[in-house]
Amino acid sequence: MKIKLTSVFVDDQEKALRFYTDVLGFTKKSDFSNGPFRWLTVVSSDDPDGTELQLALNDNPAAKTYQQAIFQQGQPAALFFTDDVKGDYERIKGRGAEFTMPPTDTAGSTIVKLNDTCGNLIQIVQLAGW
Amino acid sequence: MIYRDQYAPGPARGAEVRKDGEEKWTLVLVREMRHSPEKVWQALTDPAQLREWAPFDADGSLGTAGSTVKLTTVGAPALHVTETTVKRADPPRSNIVGSLEYGWGANDMRWELEALGAGTRLTLWTSIDRRFIAWGAAGWHICFDVLDHLLGGTPIGRTVGPDAVKFGGWKQLRDEYAKQLGVEKPA
Repeated sequence: MKIKLTSVFVDDQEKALRFYTDVLGFTKKSDFSNGPFRWLTVVSSDDPDGTELQLALNDNPAAKTYQQAIFQQGQPAALFFTDDVKGDYERIKGRGAEFTMPPTDTAGSTIVKLNDTCGNLIQIVQLAGW
Repeated sequence: MIYRDQYAPGPARGAEVRKDGEEKWTLVLVREMRHSPEKVWQALTDPAQLREWAPFDADGSLGTAGSTVKLTTVGAPALHVTETTVKRADPPRSNIVGSLEYGWGANDMRWELEALGAGTRLTLWTSIDRRFIAWGAAGWHICFDVLDHLLGGTPIGRTVGPDAVKFGGWKQLRDEYAKQLGVEKPA
């Protein structure tokens, strides 16, 4: 058994694809459609066979409610790991992303949080020790 | 499914695109069926028959205006259910064209069933993300073939989602529609 995929809900898949590729730097992996359904995933450009992130349209009330509730609590919808959080922060900020938390040292890690423009907060983590 | 082995989708035909703005386009598909409008109407509205050919399952009849029906996309890797209210359901009668309207997620669906000799001229207007218009045309093409075979008593089995994409003639059919509709060849 492997963890091959995780999902975030987004309010607009095309906008999300642009943000997750052009701004965050991921690469599109799968893009299929059946009627109103679109299966869209991205993957790390450093690890193209690694875990995929599905950009799932929040086109049902439960998804919208969940997404808004955790956003309002300041909870990230997804965590990404890096070995250079300050470098990533500068790079992603330079491409116009809005950070809700600049590089901040916490116990055992340095974190940043940003708004993905599709209804989510994303946290990027550099573990101390890496 | 002894008839499935003999099935080939044939060339792309009977499709056009109406463009309303940048993103949302309407795919118009016309297909002549060898079966009566009454018979085709049943296949478009009855959940048991939809399960044999359509790209979604319905948890109730689509044949009554005002009724609320849940549509489940078939073959999606994650469960995808949308709820629709049937906007219009006028069954075909002698000399009267049948008309059926509902939404499938963000896609507006309008069907017309017109008597054509002993058969039916079936027209579908479906709004669709313009990036997937050739996919939609190829997908519905195969669905209509499956429907025609189903009503003719030579079923070839529902072929939608990944089953359609895996199907041998898929790429050729999709690319033919992309060319006919004047859209970029999909990735």
